[in-house]
Amino acid sequence: MRFILLLLIVAAASCNSFTNGEMTPSQIQGYAPVYASASLYDSIAVQPAKTTVSAGKIYAFGSYIFQVDQQRGIHIVANGQSAAAQKIAFLKIPFCTEVAVKGNHLYANNLNDLVVFDITNPASPQLVNRLEDAFPAVTQLYPNVSDTYFECVDPDKGIVVGWERKTIINPKCRR
Amino acid sequence: MKKILFIIAITFIAYSCEKSADSLSNPTSGNPTGAGGSMARFAIVGNYLYTVDKSDLKVFDLSNPAVPVFKRTVPVGFEIETIYPFKDKLFIGSTGMVHIFSIQDPSYPTKLSEAISPDVIRRCDPVVAKDTVAYATLRTNGECGGLQSILAVFDIRDITKPVQKNAIPVSEPHGLGYSGNTLYVCDKLAGLMVFDISQPYSPQLVKTIKDGDYIDVIPYGNVLICWVTTGMILYDISTPANPVHLTTIN
Repeated sequence: MRFILLLLIVAAASCNSFTNGEMTPSQIQGYAPVYASASLYDSIAVQPAKTTVSAGKIYAFGSYIFQVDQQRGIHIVANGQSAAAQKIAFLKIPFCTEVAVKGNHLYANNLNDLVVFDITNPASPQLVNRLEDAFPAVTQLYPNVSDTYFECVDPDKGIVVGWERKTIINPKCRR
Repeated sequence: MKKILFIIAITFIAYSCEKSADSLSNPTSGNPTGAGGSMARFAIVGNYLYTVDKSDLKVFDLSNPAVPVFKRTVPVGFEIETIYPFKDKLFIGSTGMVHIFSIQDPSYPTKLSEAISPDVIRRCDPVVAKDTVAYATLRTNGECGGLQSILAVFDIRDITKPVQKNAIPVSEPHGLGYSGNTLYVCDKLAGLMVFDISQPYSPQLVKTIKDGDYIDVIPYGNVLICWVTTGMILYDISTPANPVHLTTIN
């Protein structure tokens, strides 16, 4: 009897109730917000071609194709009109999600800054301009997944740029 | 809590699809801006860059390409998702509707209308626009499984009053695009669906290709560039209805 009582107490202590009366699990697979770190976000660099991690939006220009690797940068593909198409470089732009090209210039976002590159030599883009805070921070209030628990966003920690699937403790948020 | 997630992509297509008139899909004609997909938040028209965030449209003057000059912010609405330029208009997709702006004065977009049955369609991603027919993919998932995802066909001769003409069942559609009389619909479950749209209100499924999980397409000259979850896949579409695999880039 004492054992059952103890179990009940432990069970009760491990649960927080939601305002709507649902019980929260003490530990469950869910999503935790990934916050942008200001010290990391402007480390732009041209790097060797690499494998795509999180394929994103595409912009075609002449014989080149530019594909965002979400939150990481832009893959540059040459000979995009043929079977010989291949990556020639990776333009590292932290928290990049968008790309467009006009003439010899490529436009992208570096978190909420608009960045401009001269791509006269597409294999070696040169950063030529930055418009700071051109875009308001598009923070994410919840993961783009239905029916899951997640750690609530704390605006004081910065802008949410992604979600990491992991074991979370006593989640207070659900969708 | 009931939630419904729709993804809509809309493509507007002319009855007469002359490829020569379609500079965006003809990279060899010296087109200076190239082409983006149907799910973009950046669009370049002439000397202007248009961007959308959650609620606003922003205008940048690119007269000096290296030095964008911010011109203005135009409030649009809520939950803005995508922007697609067509002639002197911008189609801005949101979870609620398509907002249509005139850019006759390119530095000063002005709202013309809101379109596409907001009671039926919750999230709109305009893709390509040519004239008087709109193709929309309506995706359902999550807890709303009872609804059928569809490829919807609208008569948009009156852009403010779209009339649905047809609905073709699909599985989990995302972006779409066209080349000539061929419409490509990305479906994450079924694959790349190829429709004959020579009868614009009655798309006929010609074939389905499954080389990956397709998210969006850019028909670009004779090449169909597909955004797939692992990277991209290129197809030769010299014959639009018969895409031939060129290469896969991961």
